[in-house]
Amino acid sequence: MPKRLLGLLLVLPALTVILLLFVVPLATSVVGAFKVDDGYGLGNFVKSFELYTSDIVFTIVIVSLSTAIIGILAIAIGGYLVLGENPRAVAILRWLYRWPLFIPFIVVGQILRTFLAKNGLMNNVLIEAGIITPLQAVSFLDWRGIVIAFVWKQTPFVALLVSGAMASVDRSTIEAARNLGASRLRILIEIIVPQVATTLVVGLVLSFVTMMSVLSVPLMINAQSPTMITADIAFRINAYGDYGVANALGMISLVASACVGWFYLRQTLKERS
Amino acid sequence: MKTFLQASLVLGLSAVPASAAELTLITAGDQNMVDYVNEYLAPLFEQQNPGATVRAVGTGPGDAGSQKIVERFEAQKQANVQTWDTDVAVVHEKFVGPMVEAGYLDSYRDRIATGGLVTRSNADMALGANVKGYVMPMFNSQTALAYNPALLPNPPKSYEELAEWAKANPKQFGYNGIKGGASGVSFVMGWIYAFGGGDADKLMNGPFEEAETTKWDGAFDSLAEFTTNATLTPGNAGTLDLLSRGEIAIGPVWVDMFYSWQANGQLPPEFKLVLPAPGMPGQPMHYVIPQNAPNKELAEKFVELATSAKVQAEGIVTRFNWYPGIDAQHVQAELDEATWNKLFVDVTPDDLAAKGKPFPIAPYNKAILEAYERHVTN
Amino acid sequence: MNVPARRPAAPGLGIGIGIGIDLWWIPRAIVLGLLAFAIFGPLTNLILWTVAERWYFPHAMPLEYGFSYWERVFSPRGTAMESLTNSVVVASLTVVVSMTLAVPAGYALARLQLPFRALILLAFLVPQAFPNLPVYVNIARLFYQLGLNGTVTGVVLVHVTHGLVYAVWIATAAFSAVDTELEEAARSVGASALRTFKDVTLPLAAPGLLASAIFVFLESLDEFTGSYFVGAPDVNMLPLLLYTASAGGNYQIASITALLLLIPSVGFMLVVERFLRSDVLSKVGH
Repeated sequence: MPKRLLGLLLVLPALTVILLLFVVPLATSVVGAFKVDDGYGLGNFVKSFELYTSDIVFTIVIVSLSTAIIGILAIAIGGYLVLGENPRAVAILRWLYRWPLFIPFIVVGQILRTFLAKNGLMNNVLIEAGIITPLQAVSFLDWRGIVIAFVWKQTPFVALLVSGAMASVDRSTIEAARNLGASRLRILIEIIVPQVATTLVVGLVLSFVTMMSVLSVPLMINAQSPTMITADIAFRINAYGDYGVANALGMISLVASACVGWFYLRQTLKERS
Repeated sequence: MKTFLQASLVLGLSAVPASAAELTLITAGDQNMVDYVNEYLAPLFEQQNPGATVRAVGTGPGDAGSQKIVERFEAQKQANVQTWDTDVAVVHEKFVGPMVEAGYLDSYRDRIATGGLVTRSNADMALGANVKGYVMPMFNSQTALAYNPALLPNPPKSYEELAEWAKANPKQFGYNGIKGGASGVSFVMGWIYAFGGGDADKLMNGPFEEAETTKWDGAFDSLAEFTTNATLTPGNAGTLDLLSRGEIAIGPVWVDMFYSWQANGQLPPEFKLVLPAPGMPGQPMHYVIPQNAPNKELAEKFVELATSAKVQAEGIVTRFNWYPGIDAQHVQAELDEATWNKLFVDVTPDDLAAKGKPFPIAPYNKAILEAYERHVTN
Repeated sequence: MNVPARRPAAPGLGIGIGIGIDLWWIPRAIVLGLLAFAIFGPLTNLILWTVAERWYFPHAMPLEYGFSYWERVFSPRGTAMESLTNSVVVASLTVVVSMTLAVPAGYALARLQLPFRALILLAFLVPQAFPNLPVYVNIARLFYQLGLNGTVTGVVLVHVTHGLVYAVWIATAAFSAVDTELEEAARSVGASALRTFKDVTLPLAAPGLLASAIFVFLESLDEFTGSYFVGAPDVNMLPLLLYTASAGGNYQIASITALLLLIPSVGFMLVVERFLRSDVLSKVGH
């Protein structure tokens, strides 16, 4: 029993900060989501789904796809950093992969817009280098641009976490497997990844949640419809001053993120018991 | 000259208690608005009011920037803060009506000497809300179609011509829908003015009638079809960006932003503007002073300086090539003809008078946007 | 001990080639080259814009280079340097506060049986998971009521609410990953609980904790909305300048500001790396 009490005491300061400074102000928004002209109701949610169902689906699909790609790339990078046999190549990769981490999302939006456009820097370079012809140049400023931006920015985040965890994996198991002739890919998938699974999933859940609430990337890269939920929230507020639907959309986004978080927590709980 | 006389008079009077007051100005709009205050207005003001310092904070371009100012006022009002942290704010037209209604603002125009220099109706009414006395326009802006003469030597002169041209030249027209900023919104409003079945003047001046909102179906159907032939651009800046890359030949932009991009070397100097018939909306940006501003007198003096004929001529017209906020004749008197005429290279004063429209009043505005969401993006 | 043991095995791949030209460099170079293009392509774009005076189609490269925008950013009346300092101070404080709160919380969530553990972890996720735009009016109101608006404390607290999710979640994962047997072994030779934590658990969890510190630092450095509502106009932060410039499409100013933000980010990363390498990695696997 005192152990539980101690645990609560240790969590309490951090929890208080979150509850007081975010969850309490959020409560007003949550209530606002249910507020309609004449009292309370689900009107805002009805309107949200009526107008923005395709955006909601689009957002979840785009973010899930990005999360999957990020996971694969992060494992590949982390795996090479741990198992790579050429120290120079490992050093180059270690130096290389982290840079996007330091670029704020809004700048990611800006530089990728001018990079990925049909006549952007990427196509210009490829054309000048003779790799493609001007006619083959395509613009990536649609859903692909969003995925590219998310993957570009978030992969280093997960890779940094995962490679840190991989570095702490007991090397003797790996050596033993190597001596038995296992390929590096097999070692990575069968030995290392299971051991860093918690960290990997934490990184991916955090990425998922972060991407769900990024506004600048969809605004600056994707002009098409459907767009992401955050862009709709901004539009409801800025164009109509309509906090009701904005809060309802926020709730929908929160529920999607919470489901992903919950899924992960369920898994870890099962593992522990 | 008048301003300087006034300023020196004020200076003489207030020289005794030269308290170190700090004037805080919050402005929506692009970085160049912040720079304009910091680099031009502030030194001028500080020189005239020793002891005072001015600091400017930008909240970002577009409606989002103004909305952040509204929210800042709302938060302070709800928190019962007696002395707010803002002396002067610069916001888009659309937001002053709600601000006046919510009681955030002070009515100060009659108290300042430059108050009489504004007679244009958009300084009294903002999208149908009476804001007379509460605002002084910083500058007037206008949307127009920017085009690349290399790709399009003879631009369409009207919405009809544009629609036809876009059909013949798919993906060469680009606009940013309605979620990416007001230049796209403005284009849509112009479309309804042109093709909506109702009375465009009623949309601009009221009164609001529910029946009017049912007359746009045809216009939206044609707009939806038109949009399939258009390139959608990411935001106001996105339209200019795609124009500068030659990916689109023509698209709606804010005139002030167009000139800023040219000045920043992001747009070729050959690009031009055209204002299509029957017209596209424009709007002023307004100086407002909150009811609970900490330094009200200083704030009034500041707005007085900023809306004086000399500053409007030197700062707004000469520096930025923007349309002045106060009545044109006062500003024109301060400038030589060449500088003044630079304002009207592509869009003539006659064009502006005939085709520079206001935005629809707030309820129509909302109704049109929502109808667009239902018809065109869904 | 591991490293020397691996060495002799490595050349096995090159044996077929004989004279030490490692043909593996061909695929390696291709992959690394592509990666470098993907990463540095957009970054080059950023760097070019910081010195581009004129740049538009059909010119693949800027027409004119210069530093006039640097002058604008660093003009005597500008707030760039002050904002940068503020940003660094606030980000550092945010890291200190977040980690102080998160290390005990993470340990408790990982090791001690807590009621509603999942719910508590979810609570930390909320500030990141609810799109913030509609919430900030309420947060600003609360901070005005508390008199925290326009203070460094206020801004740090806002950033902490966003940073804590990284700090707590990653700390929990890091502590969970520490083998309990190692702790029990230390306890069985008579080490106190606190000492075990300090000498065994903490060092083993350190890579994760330090990584989370980096994320908290970056999150704070990039945060705009809270900085505007709670900080401005008294405590101005660099992202304010960045946001206004970038959203308005002023590529030069936005790029220069982003480049400025890189300095503390990369600096902090390097400091953490140093610490990580000398202190922690040596212990890994022991």
